[in-house]
Parts: sequence; structure tokens; C-alpha cells
Amino acid sequence: MKSYVAPLYLLVFLPAVVFLYNIVPKKLRPVVLLLASYLFFWSISGKLILFLLISTFSIHHFGLWLSSLQEERNRILAETERPERKAVKAEYIRRQRWVIFLAVCIHIGTLLVLKYTAFFGQNLNSLLALAGVDWTWKIPKMVMPIGISFYTMQAMSYILDVYRETLKPDKNIGRLALYMAFFPSMMEGPICRYNDDAVSLWEGRRSSVQNLVFGAERILYGVMKKMVIADRLNIMIKTLYSGYADYDGGMMVVAAIAYTCQLYMEFSGTMDVVIGSAELFGIVLPENFKRPFFSKSISEFWTRWHITLGTWFRDYIFYPISMSKPMKRLTSKARKKIGNHFGPLIAGSIALFVVWLFNGLWHGAGWHYICFGMYHFVLIASANAVEPYTKKFLEKLHIRREEGGYKCFRIVRTALLVCIGELIFRADSLRIAMRMLKKMFTDFTFRSFTDGTLLNLGMDKHDFLIVAVSVLIVLVISIANERGICIRQKLAEKKVVVRWAVVYGLILFCIIFGAYGMNYTPVDPIYAGF
Amino acid sequence: MMKEQIIEILEDIQPEADYETCQTLIDDHILTSLDVLSLVAELEDEFDVTIPTVEIIPSNFNSVDAIAAMVERLQEEG
Repeated sequence: MKSYVAPLYLLVFLPAVVFLYNIVPKKLRPVVLLLASYLFFWSISGKLILFLLISTFSIHHFGLWLSSLQEERNRILAETERPERKAVKAEYIRRQRWVIFLAVCIHIGTLLVLKYTAFFGQNLNSLLALAGVDWTWKIPKMVMPIGISFYTMQAMSYILDVYRETLKPDKNIGRLALYMAFFPSMMEGPICRYNDDAVSLWEGRRSSVQNLVFGAERILYGVMKKMVIADRLNIMIKTLYSGYADYDGGMMVVAAIAYTCQLYMEFSGTMDVVIGSAELFGIVLPENFKRPFFSKSISEFWTRWHITLGTWFRDYIFYPISMSKPMKRLTSKARKKIGNHFGPLIAGSIALFVVWLFNGLWHGAGWHYICFGMYHFVLIASANAVEPYTKKFLEKLHIRREEGGYKCFRIVRTALLVCIGELIFRADSLRIAMRMLKKMFTDFTFRSFTDGTLLNLGMDKHDFLIVAVSVLIVLVISIANERGICIRQKLAEKKVVVRWAVVYGLILFCIIFGAYGMNYTPVDPIYAGF
Repeated sequence: MMKEQIIEILEDIQPEADYETCQTLIDDHILTSLDVLSLVAELEDEFDVTIPTVEIIPSNFNSVDAIAAMVERLQEEG
């Protein structure tokens, strides 16, 4: 069960858990989900499940510790006169911060050690060699429990919300354990929040017919995106990225666009399967995608792509940094000196820089991931900086941002900038990414499109046609969703014959046009690696 | 009185809005995230309160009334 579209998951594990969940008494349903989640984890990471268990026990304990400090503070505050209250509060904030510091050290520390030791070691060894030191650090090989980046972020949001007192810590460790380990979202997210999801996960509501139908339809749609589009593009993408030196700039453009398409279809398709799987149990997980390729700017794109990661960074990194005391002082002073626009831009940009540095590093330990983050930081920060000038410029030309041609231009421009970012993201190293980009801009020709090179990358005319038709289907559904039309709801209102015809049609489409078998290598779950 | 002070701060930060009537300052993107950074810094100076990050939610900044209510609440909490 290495992916959510593996037959073992879709045809055996998931139906078995749904069946078991619905036949046991209500009280036992969350237990079924928890045991199934641990079984799922075990099937992928074996004894590394210990990391998840320790993480769960630890965060549960930290939550209760914070809560006891908060209760103690409230008791003392009730008996304290107003002038002394500030000092009491300050003392308890200090104590709670120590608890948070300890929790961060343990949880983020474990993630850092497991995920970044090799990266740190390689860079250290390179530096030592550069300095002429005749010694290299033998980098230890680290284990990697599945989903550690995701469950660590969920654990952090839980403990930080308890600290901010927007969440009461849970005494029920089972509920917390299920929140940390729920199998559909364990491997690739979405990154859930305790306040939004833990209660419904533990509720044990019986699946309704609508849950089962809607969930299955969503899963099917996700499987189509992954098997028909993402997997079919895989051979061509592998050929282009591993043999980039043999191709011209035109093919680099194809590499950038094809990979962006593959990543979107793979990740959003997996999210469809994940959210559909949860829906089978009557559980609504947060959406991770909202038609990102209709975005008119890069900052809008990141409010529509991997949404739960973006909101996590916003709530736990961007605001805490930009709203910290030194940053507020900086904003206040800078605003008086350099005006309303550039004043807050400094603190905002510092916070944004940290967000994108972490965003890049979260995706992987490599300089090209850091560069991917910095690329987005520069795009967003520069757009913020020139905003007043852009506004004036458009006013002079009488161009309205939300209208026709200019809106289309903004959508296409954003998509192209995203494609360049994804090329940096996918390339095997930063050096290769730079070479590919250089080719794109200095060696661009249409020759490879006409001399047969394009059809020699592992995809023939039929493959391109299947991908094009499938992308068109996704585009039509996305336009309908963007206009607020729920396709599944519309389908549910149709006659039973039509409903089954559509479902069978989609199943047949996946079976006939899915890229599987001897000549295909399915793309690995990309985000599971993060 | 407090509302007038808040409107004065807002007009200094972003003059192009009708703060007396507008109820969707954040939802309609009249105030950007950078404007909110300025606003928070100014509110803290002016009213001697600390606005924690958990208060940075649209419903607290969508109108002058909402901003005033938040500031009053934080002043009471001391």
C-alpha cells in the first residue's frame, strides 16, 4: 500500500475498513479507524510506528502540562489585585513558553534530524573540503517514518493552539491519536486542525448512502487524474529531466509545463482520493486545492494550492513573526519615515522570507528546494513592492484588473511563472535547474516539435491525445466548480441510469486509458516524500 | 471617541475607503495584510493594548465597530 491509488488500498483495505466501521457499535467506530490507521502506517513504515506513538503521547502530555499552567494562572489571577495581574500573566507566559520550547525541540528536532542530517552533512563535508580540512563526517543513514512532516505539523498546530488558548487540550488520548494518524490524510495531508476535525473523526457517525456515493465518485475522479494523466506523463518527464542535456529550449518548456501538469494531477488527484476516502466515513477533511490555475497572481496561487500548508505557515510563522514586538516597532517607525506602503513592507517581507525559506525546506532537503522557496518569495515580495505603481499604471491606461483580456493575461502569466518554479522544484539539483532554465531562454526553438523529437520521449500521438482529452475533462469540471456548480450534486439529481452510466464511463475510462502495465512506471506519490 | 481615533488611524494608513459605513474591509481586500500590520502597530501605540496573533482574523478587522470592540475587549482583559 505505497499509494492511495494502489489496488490493495482501493479494492481491499478501504472497503474492508468502511464495512467494519459500519457494522460495529457507534462507540467502537473511532477505535476501528484508529486501529486501521495504525495498520496502514505499519504496512508502510513497520516498526517506525514507534515515532508516531511517541509523538502522540508526547504532544498529549505537553497539552495537559500547558493546561495545568493556565488553570494555575487563572486561580492566582482571581485572587490578585489588578495592578499585579500583568506580572502574574508575564510569569505564566514565560513558563508556558518553556513548555512550547521543549515541545518544539522534541517534535521539530526529530523531524530536522531525520530529514535534514544528510543535507547538513553533505554541505558540511563540502565546506570542510573547500577549507582544505582533511576530514569528512561519515553521515549516518536516517530512517523516515511515513507522513512525519504532516503529523509533526498537526502536532505543532495542536500545541500552539493550546498555548494561545484557542483550543482546550484533549484528555482523551485516543481522539488525539486518531487526529494524528487518520489513515487517509496520514501520508500526504491535508494538514488538519484539531478544532476543525478531531471531534468529527471521533464521533463515529454511520456512513450515509450519500457519503458512500459522493465519496466513491470523488475517489474515482482522483484515480482518473492520477492514472490517466500523471502516470501517462511520467515517462516523458523522466526522459526530459534526466537527459536534459540532449534537448533544446523548446523541450525545456515542455518539461516545465508537463511536470507542473503532472504534479497538479498527482497531488490534487491524491487529495480527491484522500478526501473521498474520509467522506466514506462521513468525515469532511479540509480542501487542499481550489482551482489554482485560475489564479491571477502568485500570492493568489498559494491561497489555492496546498491550502492547508499555506494557512499553517500563515498562522504559525507569518503572523507570529510580523506581529512580534520588534517587528511592530519596526513597522511603526518605518511607516513614519518611508510612508504607508513601504513601512509595513519591511516587516512583512522579513516574515515572508522566513515563510518561503521554511516552505522550500519543508518540501525537501536540497538547495533547489530552497531556491524554489526563494523564487516565490521574490515574486510575491516584488509584486507587493510595486503594487502602487502597477495600480497607477493601469489607471493611466484605463485597464481594469478583473476584466476580459487583462484578466486572461494575468492568469496565463501566473501559470507560466508557476511552471518555471516547478521546473526548479523537479530538477535533480540546483545546477541542473539553472542549466535547464538557461536552455529555455537561450536555446529556444520549435525544431524539436516538428522533427519528431517530441514523439520520441516515451509518448506517442495517442498518449498526447489521451492526456489532452483528460485535461480538458478536468478543465470543464474546474470551470463548473469555479462557478459554484457541484457536479456530484447535479449528478445525484439525474435519473439512476444516467448516474450509473457516468460512473461506469469513468471506471472504463480509467481502465482503458490509465497508464499501467509493463510499459509504464506510475509516478510515486510525490508529496509522500515530503 | 475611540471610533473617531480608529478612523483617523485608518485614513492615515489607507485613505481610499468609507470607514463610517464599510463592513467588509478585509473581505473586500480594502485593507491588505500589510495595512493590517500597520494598523495593529498603531492601535497598540494609541490604546496601550497588546493585540495577539490569534486576534488577527477577518471578523475583528472588517469594520471600525469590530476593531473598536476588539480593542475595548483587550483593554478590559488588561
